[in-house]
Amino acid sequence: MDVNILYNVEHEMPLGIPIALYFYLTGLSAGSFIISTLAYGFGMIKFKPLGKIGVVMATSLLGIAPMILLIDLEQPMRFWHLILYLRITSPITWGTFLLTLYPLNCVVYGYFMFKGDLKRTKFFGLIGIPLALLVHGYTGFILALGKARVLWNTAIMPPIFLVSAMVSGLALMILVVIIKDFIIRRKKEPDRMLIYALGNFLVASIVLDLLLIGIDILVLLTSHTEAYKAAIMLLNGPFSLPFLGIEVFLGAIIPLFLLLLPFTKHWIPGLAVASVLVMIGIFAMRCIMVIGGLSIPLS
Amino acid sequence: MKNQTTHKKRYAMAIDLRRCIGCHSCSVACKAENRVPLGVFRTWVKIIEKGRYPNITRHFLPTLCNQCDHPPCVINCPVQATWKQEDGIVIVDEHRCIGCKYCLASCPYDARYINPLMPIIQKCYFCHHRVYAGLEPACVEVCPAKARVFGDLNNPREEITQLISKQPFQVLKPEMGTYPQVFYIGADSDAMDPFAGRKEWM
Repeated sequence: MDVNILYNVEHEMPLGIPIALYFYLTGLSAGSFIISTLAYGFGMIKFKPLGKIGVVMATSLLGIAPMILLIDLEQPMRFWHLILYLRITSPITWGTFLLTLYPLNCVVYGYFMFKGDLKRTKFFGLIGIPLALLVHGYTGFILALGKARVLWNTAIMPPIFLVSAMVSGLALMILVVIIKDFIIRRKKEPDRMLIYALGNFLVASIVLDLLLIGIDILVLLTSHTEAYKAAIMLLNGPFSLPFLGIEVFLGAIIPLFLLLLPFTKHWIPGLAVASVLVMIGIFAMRCIMVIGGLSIPLS
Repeated sequence: MKNQTTHKKRYAMAIDLRRCIGCHSCSVACKAENRVPLGVFRTWVKIIEKGRYPNITRHFLPTLCNQCDHPPCVINCPVQATWKQEDGIVIVDEHRCIGCKYCLASCPYDARYINPLMPIIQKCYFCHHRVYAGLEPACVEVCPAKARVFGDLNNPREEITQLISKQPFQVLKPEMGTYPQVFYIGADSDAMDPFAGRKEWM
């Protein structure tokens, strides 16, 4: 039947790019922290050069990320209400504690690492892994528990966020190692094996990320009307270019080819391009999730 | 009355769409009563037109905060700035709200907004300043067709209790599990569907 809306009110979209950027930075931070603990927490000697740079990246990125959240508040001067009047059912309250504990743990872990106290480094590294997972997992819960938005309210949202954090963290580490070895210290022999090992991890996590996204879309497509419309919005609607073009094709398929094809997989500029594309793709994913989720009409 | 003092109050609203004429008086009265700034609304009347000439009708859907029994905004507010009172009204403490906008993202009814003049979150609270003074909410008082009925669901003598006991009614988005306390009598399903009439979402 012909239906026309003559008058309706839609309120302004509450969240936007700053929140997407915040999710992106916490993801990068959690990813680089976990890579940093590979050597010092789990004893994978191959990754030892990444320990220090990983913890520095993790701490500094997590210094910036909560600032973006504060700027995005309508009343930034009242941020202390978060600690005083907490409500335990809200994922933002979980985040208040995680965003306090996790950077502190990063600083302590980094301090012992730079001092060379390997036993304590391992201890704080192992404490830090669940914290890093929770810090990024809770951002997935922020979206998953926003039950009004059908694109967010799925059980697979926290795992997608964790895996995409790993993807972007690995890409960042590859870039950092390339910049460190090939641009800053040009004369030293570069650690190619380290980069190739990170590349293999990156392939595995991109594949896992694509799988989770595919599962999400498939279930949305076969679920109720609103979910179906959200899936169509991503596949053949206003968000199909950012989703299929940037997130899936540029951010996952092309890097996968660059990392797997025999004549590009040991080519350092190719790996650098793949990492940059992956990082762009993950940022696009955060923006699509936040803005796409909010652009589904409610009234 | 005796009943009113012995019972706990349970405020709710019924909107009888068989009577609604789509005059927008409720939106205007709400704006005047609560000083709602330009560009945002605590209540508005969605109007759709359906059918093909000569069989064509308009349907109205006055929309406001549903004062849900299981409000996602309350569950998700990190600073306890919004809560459900015993009398059923969900209110916002404007001095405690930090403006994280998570309640806006959680509300399935788009009932909340950011006040553009004074950056805090606001929404309809059944004009509780009027209700506690013994008056009706502004939108109810002003409705010329008496389509909006406000009252205490625990009092069987009130008009709203009789109305929703006898008439078939609907609520918005029951699948969200929010248990809304705004009851629509004779609402059109296309008016209640956010996607109906949006060509870009077909």
